[in-house]
Amino acid sequence: MLPIDFSALLASSIHDIKNSLGALRALLTQLEKIYIDPKPDELKHLNFEANRMNNILMQLLILYKIDLSQFSPTIDEHEVGEILEDVSAQQSTLLSLGNIKLITQCDNDLHCYCDSTLIGNALCTLVNNAQRYCLTKVLLSVAKEGDYVVFCIEDDGKGYPENLLTSDYKQLPLIDLATGNTGLGLFFTDTIAQLHVQGDKRGFITTDNNSQFGGARFRLYLP
Amino acid sequence: MAINLTSKKILIIEDNASMRETMIHILGSLGGRFLITAESGINAITAMKIDKFDIVLCDYNLLGKKTGQQVLDDARFLKLLPVNAIFIMVTGETRQELVLSAIDNKPDDYLIKPISKDQLSTRIERCTARKQYLACVENEMDSGNFYQALHHCKRLLESDDKKMRLHLLKIQAELTIKIGDFKAAEQLYENILYERELPWARLGLGTVAFFLGDYDQAIETFKDLIVQHPSMMEAYDWLVKAHEAQGNDDNALSSLNSAVNLSPMSILRQKKLAMLADKTDNLAIAHKAYSAVIKLGKNSAQKSPADFAGLANVYLKSNAPNEALKILNQLNLRFQNDPEARLRSALLESEIHLTNGNKELAQLAFGKASVLNEQFSKNLPKELRLNMAKTLYLNGDKMACDEMLNDLVTTNIDNKLFVKDIVNMCDTFIGQNYAMLLIKQVRKELADINNNGVNLFLEGDIKGALDVFEKAIAKRPNNHTVILNMVKIIIHDLKSSKPDPDKIIKAQAYINKAIEIGMPHTQISRLQTELDSFQNATLQ
Repeated sequence: MLPIDFSALLASSIHDIKNSLGALRALLTQLEKIYIDPKPDELKHLNFEANRMNNILMQLLILYKIDLSQFSPTIDEHEVGEILEDVSAQQSTLLSLGNIKLITQCDNDLHCYCDSTLIGNALCTLVNNAQRYCLTKVLLSVAKEGDYVVFCIEDDGKGYPENLLTSDYKQLPLIDLATGNTGLGLFFTDTIAQLHVQGDKRGFITTDNNSQFGGARFRLYLP
Repeated sequence: MAINLTSKKILIIEDNASMRETMIHILGSLGGRFLITAESGINAITAMKIDKFDIVLCDYNLLGKKTGQQVLDDARFLKLLPVNAIFIMVTGETRQELVLSAIDNKPDDYLIKPISKDQLSTRIERCTARKQYLACVENEMDSGNFYQALHHCKRLLESDDKKMRLHLLKIQAELTIKIGDFKAAEQLYENILYERELPWARLGLGTVAFFLGDYDQAIETFKDLIVQHPSMMEAYDWLVKAHEAQGNDDNALSSLNSAVNLSPMSILRQKKLAMLADKTDNLAIAHKAYSAVIKLGKNSAQKSPADFAGLANVYLKSNAPNEALKILNQLNLRFQNDPEARLRSALLESEIHLTNGNKELAQLAFGKASVLNEQFSKNLPKELRLNMAKTLYLNGDKMACDEMLNDLVTTNIDNKLFVKDIVNMCDTFIGQNYAMLLIKQVRKELADINNNGVNLFLEGDIKGALDVFEKAIAKRPNNHTVILNMVKIIIHDLKSSKPDPDKIIKAQAYINKAIEIGMPHTQISRLQTELDSFQNATLQ
């Protein structure tokens, strides 16, 4: 048998799945029109899950390209408020579903150098995860800390499991089949954080359970 | 969300029917009333010819033959987008791949599917705010008034708006290069880079080195950028230019070839590759690139008879005259009423028949070319006219050839690269001293005209002097000295007479022309400052 190039195979499969997902989303929109307001929650949930799958596939594709050295981030100066606004806008469907609150916080004219599409995508996934594991609220706050701009996501859930509290995110944690927790979001965010470089400083992430609300706390440092 | 789209004309370009409906639904809920949809790139261009849109939302992966990037390229090329219009590219992919295909035309923003109402409304709002903020700069740029644009840019920077600061600095640096003040641009880019290593600023520094003639430095910068950002197409494009400027066509070709491999959908890059490969006799590459250009050109406003003629010529050079004739047939079919196409075709036909030993047919085709040349000569591209001059000479019509070469040298005396092409052609076909003598004679004529005009001016005959230079400009629209003298005299005239807005406009138009043809900043800036003082005087 010929050796199988799994990464190439995976990349083309992802393209196919993405196309199907696109079709599925279009169908969903059509379906939505049948219902009058208020639309059933199941529909919103479907939309949300499709969105999440799309995000993950995009991350996989980017990781694939980074692996092939075909990827470099598009770094520019961005207003942090705008990035947060984008994340909130993307999460609006899910937020409208239930009783979970997403609070965003940052200084008015805080700016940071980053690839806003990448960072937005990563934050979305992580906020998303936080929403799944929290009880009532998620706080996304950004502040300047020395030479870094720090994006912080805190929730009031049970906190990260032991396997996600490592400091080496390059090592993909074993998939926990019981919780379905893969750590892919963290792996992706850590990878793209490291593509943000200024002088001898590089971006990185940390995880702990020191949330001011008693749950998990994630932090992304960008130089 | 505060945005209200009631008064905006919006075009939605999307091939998927349900996506289209979703967009209409979202835009409608934001107040949009004037919504036009197009399901293909070709229909989109038609729609933009009928209406001037404020906002265009364009899907990148359009079914059919045009991509979203081609729609944007064509819209800009045909000037269908108003200066203050917003063009947003919508895509299922990551931004990276789209940026790849763009050369000069970048959309105002990218949006990644799926799009929610909130997302769309914030993006449109942001783009609108940015466009409004920059309107004063962009309007002046659009009219070619680069000094005024730069002035507005500096004024906006003084207000210290952190959000727009970097964007303004980028525009400022680009404008500073436009007016030819390279040292100042260098300083601007260095200041930005001191703060942060940003690829566009590094690229800017490379272009400054290029314009200052430091090609080694420029090449090193562009190469470094490509190592760090393998998909940064602009760095490749500049690298090619720098190699060319150094006279190293082989290196230029190999860089351009890598760029085309990365972005095979870009018609302009393919075209450039075809011509360069043709020039350096890399016939296999030329063949492949011309074929790609013709294929891409089918759906593009950038299609040109020169592509077909180029491919036919490659066949001819590869000893396949019959294939060449087939391509000429296609050329004749596609561009039936285009005099340029007919001339190109006739010229090549004559050459092909000569190669085949068919003297009578060759003579017949040459006859056709001569007639067309007499009818349209001045309106044809200069490269084509040079080619025509060669054919005239080879067919024994020395007088017509002399006349054409004289005119070509006269109108392009300041274009070093093209003068070099003329010299090469003359050296190969006519004789070693021919071009040298011709250039000497043209320079002398020019000097005489300038002296004559300046003398009249010194004698106080301003009207007579203006008359001399106006006639000179009509015949030599791109000559540096003539334009410069013209502006000087108008400004002197303004000093000694009462304020006259018409004269100011005229002088400004000549200054813009001078910038456009790349005259150095050192020669223009003082004149612009003087002109500005009249402008301010009339305003008060």
